Amino acid sequence: MAPKDYDVLIIGSGASGGMAAYTLAKKGISCLMLDAGPLVDFNRVRGPKPVYELPYRGFGKPGRLPHVMQANEFNANQWVDETEVPYTHDPKSPYNWVRVRMIGGKSLFWARMSFRLSDYEFKGKDHDGFGENWPISYADLKPYYDRVEPIFRVAGRNEGYSQLPDGVFLEDDSPWSGAMKRFIGAASKRDIPVTKMRRATGRGQFASSFNLLLPDALDSGNLTIVPNAVVRDITIDKNTGLANGVNFLDRHSKREMHAKARIVVVGASCLESTRILLNSKIANSSGVLGHYLHDQTYITQGVQAIVPEAKDGKAPRGLMGGGGYSPRFVNLKSGKEQNFIRGYAFDFSTGGTPDPKFIPAYGAELDKALKSYSGAGVSVTLMGEVLPRYENFAAIDKNVVDAWGIPALHIQARYSENEFNMMKHATNTFEEVCQDAGFEILAKHDKMLPPGYSIHELGTCRMGDNPKTSVLNKWNQSHDIKNLFVVDGSSFVTGGYQNPTITILSLSMRASEYMMEQMRAGNL
Amino acid sequence: MTLNMKRRGFVKALFVAPAAPALFAQQPAPGVSANPAPGVPLNPTQPVPPPTVSNEIPKLDTMVPDAAAEPIPHFFTHAEFGALRKLSGMLMPSVNGMAGALEAKAPEFLDFLIGDSPAGRQQVYRAGLDALNAGSSKRFGKAFAELDATQADAVLAPLHQPWTYEEPADPLARFLREAKADIRTATVNSREYNTASAGGRRFGGSGTYWYPLD
Repeated sequence: MAPKDYDVLIIGSGASGGMAAYTLAKKGISCLMLDAGPLVDFNRVRGPKPVYELPYRGFGKPGRLPHVMQANEFNANQWVDETEVPYTHDPKSPYNWVRVRMIGGKSLFWARMSFRLSDYEFKGKDHDGFGENWPISYADLKPYYDRVEPIFRVAGRNEGYSQLPDGVFLEDDSPWSGAMKRFIGAASKRDIPVTKMRRATGRGQFASSFNLLLPDALDSGNLTIVPNAVVRDITIDKNTGLANGVNFLDRHSKREMHAKARIVVVGASCLESTRILLNSKIANSSGVLGHYLHDQTYITQGVQAIVPEAKDGKAPRGLMGGGGYSPRFVNLKSGKEQNFIRGYAFDFSTGGTPDPKFIPAYGAELDKALKSYSGAGVSVTLMGEVLPRYENFAAIDKNVVDAWGIPALHIQARYSENEFNMMKHATNTFEEVCQDAGFEILAKHDKMLPPGYSIHELGTCRMGDNPKTSVLNKWNQSHDIKNLFVVDGSSFVTGGYQNPTITILSLSMRASEYMMEQMRAGNL
Repeated sequence: MTLNMKRRGFVKALFVAPAAPALFAQQPAPGVSANPAPGVPLNPTQPVPPPTVSNEIPKLDTMVPDAAAEPIPHFFTHAEFGALRKLSGMLMPSVNGMAGALEAKAPEFLDFLIGDSPAGRQQVYRAGLDALNAGSSKRFGKAFAELDATQADAVLAPLHQPWTYEEPADPLARFLREAKADIRTATVNSREYNTASAGGRRFGGSGTYWYPLD
């Protein structure tokens, strides 16, 4: 049987590629999806295991996955092996590139936190003068958020915040615990909003392209998925200058193959998509491909507090438990109310037990303190916007190749004074609110985790109206090659403080529908 | 579960196994001679019945090596290991019937783990343990392992300092902070800790393990 001619070839099966397939295949567009990883049988590759049966007692093999702080000995095999797919960085400026190669991609494991961007992000330059505006506004993307959220069954509470638009949510009307009410009361005196977490609940708390997008796309009969296809580059028709397919290697045998299609959609994740374009030597007339790499900066356990009334197991029923989310509340009125621009969010919880490292004791004394603090803890993750800057970039490292002989990336990303000042402010503010709420501060710090840690890499194929300063137009379409689309987080102009996946999904849906319109009009 | 109980379970499985007629596909199916005459091939068209509830492959009990054998420390020197054992017992003693670090063989495990670790981590341990012994010798005229509880507490004073994000510059303080976490993890993740029962409650740290992908 001769290979089929496909309308659209999609690289990547995660959130962005999955949404492209879902949108296109259901409308009769024939799609071929290539993914570098295998199709995983979850019943076969996963199973319960006592920690003491692990060879390293849960520590993990020393030196394995040095950049994946999310890895542990239970899940080490789910991440990309850095020796198989290496990348480089300046030893003094580590970058944590955290990758998954399986059908479903990182959407198999994401935290499911789902926040819309607002015009504070889409039109950030108008607000504070930094960087570039997106070529779209919130109004352009709102209809797609409205359709994506029900697919992913996002739970949350509509609040009417201008900086965190409402959504089509499964309404979360759960009550606040006593500790949360105290925090909210203290926060409100500083005009700090607190809402319920907004999180995709999917089906059975599994909210992945694997179960929410790809099955429907396959049911249409218009999607073919080929796993274990490691894409090397995109091929170009010399006569037309258009993309006509991709070269890929079989993951196991390394056999080289070529697949053809009328349109190529790249959704391999921000940095992998960028790597493919750079290795293809295309779509870079602007010279900004690979530049403006950004993410969200994270501080975990930035403040560890204790609710005194909950110590020694004396918490009355309803005092402890639950968490909250505070969206950006600084620099909303003017562009720079502080010694930094943009903003940050709190993601915090009550009812946990502090890590023993925070308690200056050992032996029986430590054991006694842990018992006393059990269930009385308040802990926060602080998430801040990172400014997209040209000098943070990914480029091809000509001296390093992966296991398939494909040139690797060199990544350079450093946080700037703006991020340092912002996160210091975030930590201090959260501490002050805790103190106002009557909580005891056990420990605090304002040290950001290395760039990349959030697994929210963005911006390296940014969109814009000007082909000289952007890689894609406002439809996620290459300025240079009109039948080439990049639909993942690399298209972001700026990422705000919000987790990006729901925006990636919405952009991919929007780009795919535009693609279909152009196909119908005979333009593609 | 004791060693003998485990062994009995395995022996029982051995006796059960032959009763399963289609334990492996290579085994002859019912109606086919298990010992065909030389030169007479098995009927290649004879279907092999799929496993059923009555003939499914048995699950055999096994155990981790720590339950059946003693680890052989080889990384730390005698003096370093002596200090590590003393430290482990102090940082994570047996409390309320739960296994402590010594019962969990945490020092022996850490000898393996640190010996398998990058040089930087090895140096933190070596420098720290040497500092423990040197400080003990200077203050009390004997190795850390020989100190009484009051003396040892005095040497471990850095552990009473409030936590800071930055690693302490002092090699002993840095080591003690790292060792406090490592000894605890090596203990609570041990078989001994996880199979202990206290007040009728069983402790069992477990998780979803991802096997290597095909």
